Amino acid sequence: MSEPAIELAGMGKQFTKYDDTPMLVTRALRFRTRTKRSKLWALRNIDFTVARGECAGVIGRNGSGKSTMLTVLAGVTGPTEGRVTVRGSVAPLISVGIGFHPELTGKENVYVNGMVLGMNRNQIDRQFDGIVDFAEVGPFIDTPVKFYSSGMQLRLGFAVAVAAEPEILLVDEVLAVGDLSFQLKCFKRMQEIIEAGATIVVVSHNLAAIRNLCARTIVLNYGTKRFDGDTHEAIAVYHDLLGERREIDDAPVGSSGDGQLPARFERVELRGPDGTQTSHLRGGDEVEIQGDVVVDQPVDDPVFGLIVRTEGGLVIYTDSTPLLQGVAGLAAGARAQFRARFRMAVTSGPYEVQVSMRELKTGELIARPLAPLRVYVSGRDGVHGLADLGADLSVSRVESAESA
Amino acid sequence: MAAAGFELEGESTPVRVLVKQIWGCRGLWAMLARKDFFVRYRRASFGLLWAVVLPLLQAVVLAIVFSRVGKIHTGNINYIVFIFSGNISWNFFSTVFGAGSTAIVDNAAMTAKIYFPRALLPLVAAGSTLYGFSITVVILLGMCIVTGVPLGVSVLLLIPAIILMIVLAEAFALVFSALHVYFRDMRFVVSAMQTVWFYVTPIIYPLSLVGKLGTFLRINPVTGIVEMFRAATVGADPRWVASLWWTLGWTVGLLIIATLLHRRFNRVFADLL
Repeated sequence: MSEPAIELAGMGKQFTKYDDTPMLVTRALRFRTRTKRSKLWALRNIDFTVARGECAGVIGRNGSGKSTMLTVLAGVTGPTEGRVTVRGSVAPLISVGIGFHPELTGKENVYVNGMVLGMNRNQIDRQFDGIVDFAEVGPFIDTPVKFYSSGMQLRLGFAVAVAAEPEILLVDEVLAVGDLSFQLKCFKRMQEIIEAGATIVVVSHNLAAIRNLCARTIVLNYGTKRFDGDTHEAIAVYHDLLGERREIDDAPVGSSGDGQLPARFERVELRGPDGTQTSHLRGGDEVEIQGDVVVDQPVDDPVFGLIVRTEGGLVIYTDSTPLLQGVAGLAAGARAQFRARFRMAVTSGPYEVQVSMRELKTGELIARPLAPLRVYVSGRDGVHGLADLGADLSVSRVESAESA
Repeated sequence: MAAAGFELEGESTPVRVLVKQIWGCRGLWAMLARKDFFVRYRRASFGLLWAVVLPLLQAVVLAIVFSRVGKIHTGNINYIVFIFSGNISWNFFSTVFGAGSTAIVDNAAMTAKIYFPRALLPLVAAGSTLYGFSITVVILLGMCIVTGVPLGVSVLLLIPAIILMIVLAEAFALVFSALHVYFRDMRFVVSAMQTVWFYVTPIIYPLSLVGKLGTFLRINPVTGIVEMFRAATVGADPRWVASLWWTLGWTVGLLIIATLLHRRFNRVFADLL
């Protein structure tokens, strides 16, 4: 029992990338073979273990090796180097409904699919009623699957996969499909499986699902392990990685103003509750924005403003320095420092914080960094919507008059 | 099935493990074979009848054409029965060879998502083809009785003949299914082979009719199978045992190649699907 369920040691997976599918004749005659093939490491030097009963997440950008990781853990493909050890039966929930044949009835498909997942006839016989109930396809179980709606097929596939009672469950984006009530049902079932002591690996872009299911998360980047630990920190690392790529695309944040404007921001920083610069916060964290402005042309009445948006551009909050407390009259060459302290009482997600300086009377823009600050917030669990109003919820039993 | 998990180091799978896994998947094998067979006839009004009618029709047409055009004579054996006795094992062989050699790629939806020994898929072809084949064997025996072919103890030769036929067809299917993953031309190579192969196998003519050419036709591994079926029923060429040795040689050689290919590529076929 002390042995971990999953153990990867120095694991690497190399793919041969063919620019052109190899063909018998060209290969045999050794034409083009050198130029048209290239080796590509999808994963390299991966070490980690997942203990029995643990639920671990794997996240990473597109092309970071997540899907390859799933195929390796499912045993679909072997490692090029290193070692992969998986102790226990594996059911990949990625493969819901594999081997479903449209001409076969639901019942026949349950048997075929169940056996593909490693069950034997007797096990399926015993589980059959439960599978049909869970999938809610009772009246149609003797109908060919081609007449099923896609939702019915999905439900049946999921029902069979979880009925296999796997010791290790590999979960892809499946929980994101199906209608809400079924999603909830799947989620409950997954919780039961976790409680029963199964090991779960969730590979997903759906950070909400990862946060809900996994305490620990591994971040992959360009095929290597970038981070392994607490899920909240992992999500922060992941967002830093997303940010890294943006910075390559965009101009660096806050480094200079627009050449046409009378002033420019020299430095814009977002500091977390501990006073250090960060791009990851927890919901409700106290933050401070600091900005230094250098004035090139004289400004009469500058007003500093702040705007907080979701990544999608929805404005959550705007504010500006009180009119009477502004710094009046900045001469050319003058410097001003801007500070804003507030509580980031929002729900989970990526946000943008932008600062600006405007002329009070005309409202003309005087200075603004080229790009906003980007920050990822891990909100309180279970809180959805835009703002975290911090409600204090409680419920208590009230004896009704009749029963008394 | 990977019921108790797995430990992988490197890409190849040891032969012992491979054999154990395939044996462990026999229930799945039977299920997939049944599925393949019944799906084929599921939506047809005459259903399984087609599995009987088609090979019969084929034998009758071949008999009519070649008795008129080729003027082939088979002595006191009815020409239709003669063709049928050769054709059923050829049909089995070419169906398994054709379906089996593309099986790993054709089932990519499954192979790319879950692990089971990939050799299982070409092996399923033998199982699903066996259903229809067993009906044709019964028909062959019936035809022999109706046309007055004396059936002796030699009928028992059918048992080793059928086993050898299955093993040979699978040896080809296993080798070509592995090659097909890497070279998609194999599908067409196999079709081309089947077209020529039919005529270089003594199905529509007896070996005695081709004279010296017979020496070359004996190298053909299917000749041994066809002749063994004839030895069990309508009577074979006197030197049929010689062709049987060739068949055995091919079978063993191909099985060794198949083992090497699947040992090396079993775990990485999925990379190319």
